[in-house]
Amino acid sequence: MEPELPQWQGRATLVDLLDRVLDKGVFLRADLILSVAGIPLIGARLSLELAGMETMLKYGILSDWDEAIRALPPDLRQPPPPGESPPERRASEGREETIAA
Amino acid sequence: MTACQAAAATAADDGVYVYCVARSTAHWLLGPIGLDDKMAYTVPNGDLCCVVHSCDARPYHSDNRQLAEGWVLAHQRVVDAATKAFGTVLPMSFNMIVRDGPGGPATENLRTWMTERRDGFTPLLDKLAGKAEYGVQIFWDRRLVADTLVQKDPKLRKMRHEALNKPKGTAYMLQQKLAKATRAAIERRANRYVEDFYLRVRRCVEEMRIDRPRNTDNGARMLLRLSCLMKKGSSDLGRALDEIQKMEGISVRFTGPWPPYSFVGGG
Repeated sequence: MEPELPQWQGRATLVDLLDRVLDKGVFLRADLILSVAGIPLIGARLSLELAGMETMLKYGILSDWDEAIRALPPDLRQPPPPGESPPERRASEGREETIAA
Repeated sequence: MTACQAAAATAADDGVYVYCVARSTAHWLLGPIGLDDKMAYTVPNGDLCCVVHSCDARPYHSDNRQLAEGWVLAHQRVVDAATKAFGTVLPMSFNMIVRDGPGGPATENLRTWMTERRDGFTPLLDKLAGKAEYGVQIFWDRRLVADTLVQKDPKLRKMRHEALNKPKGTAYMLQQKLAKATRAAIERRANRYVEDFYLRVRRCVEEMRIDRPRNTDNGARMLLRLSCLMKKGSSDLGRALDEIQKMEGISVRFTGPWPPYSFVGGG
């Protein structure tokens, strides 16, 4: 039985969900998961506002680094991790082809 | 591999996408509800299982925002279905994919991982049984609070009166002083509210995490963002939030129940 719904209960939005699935939950250890340069890849590239800037920077999911850096306020810009670029992917059903930076 | 798992995988698949860890010993098909409508199924190991779908071992990445959002929603859809079937689960973060390796095929690597983590997962599942996560966001209307503060504080009220009634040059300086004093008063009030609300909510829930407040686009300022773990059906938190919601200039947003993303400890 759920608690009686108060009048201010909001409909959960995508942002509420992203806050959880991107930043939280159980992680697999590095050698089991796919990674580039040992950093777990969170592959969905969502709008910067939506995903949360810190998450994007922390997990290196930016496929277009320059564009993303230009969008940051000056004091948040950091150099990209050395040697990191997204992996080249085969086109497969449901996923788009990614062009390595 | 069981017959149903064989049906779910294809020859090219060298990975499994992992949705959650659950208490179940059997092989189950949850249906074609995964990302890209993939068949979700269980990989049991002892008294635990993982809910997965077979895929080629690559992260899900797309520049198409709708596609990416669909994947995230599918992730949650499967975790929800697993929760209905097995009770509270340990939800995985998005895009956790196990691949074939020198140790064996992906499902074997996954089983090894489950065995290694069993001593942590089992008591965690025990602790989370019958509970869910709820999100609490508390906002305030900063301008309304500022107006009230100025009205009710004699010093500020006096400053405002003087700022309105002096000649231009003096008035401008007094306005600056008033603005500064008001900002300080607002910050003090914000800190008191945050502490007060934090304690009130903390009393009603079993565990709590403080999340970074987000910017909103409607002028309200988010004072506090919390993730709360509590038993489903508990109404203590609702009552506490009712009281908070009554305060002038304060509004509350409450979401849930969620799978306990905030309480499974990351990696």
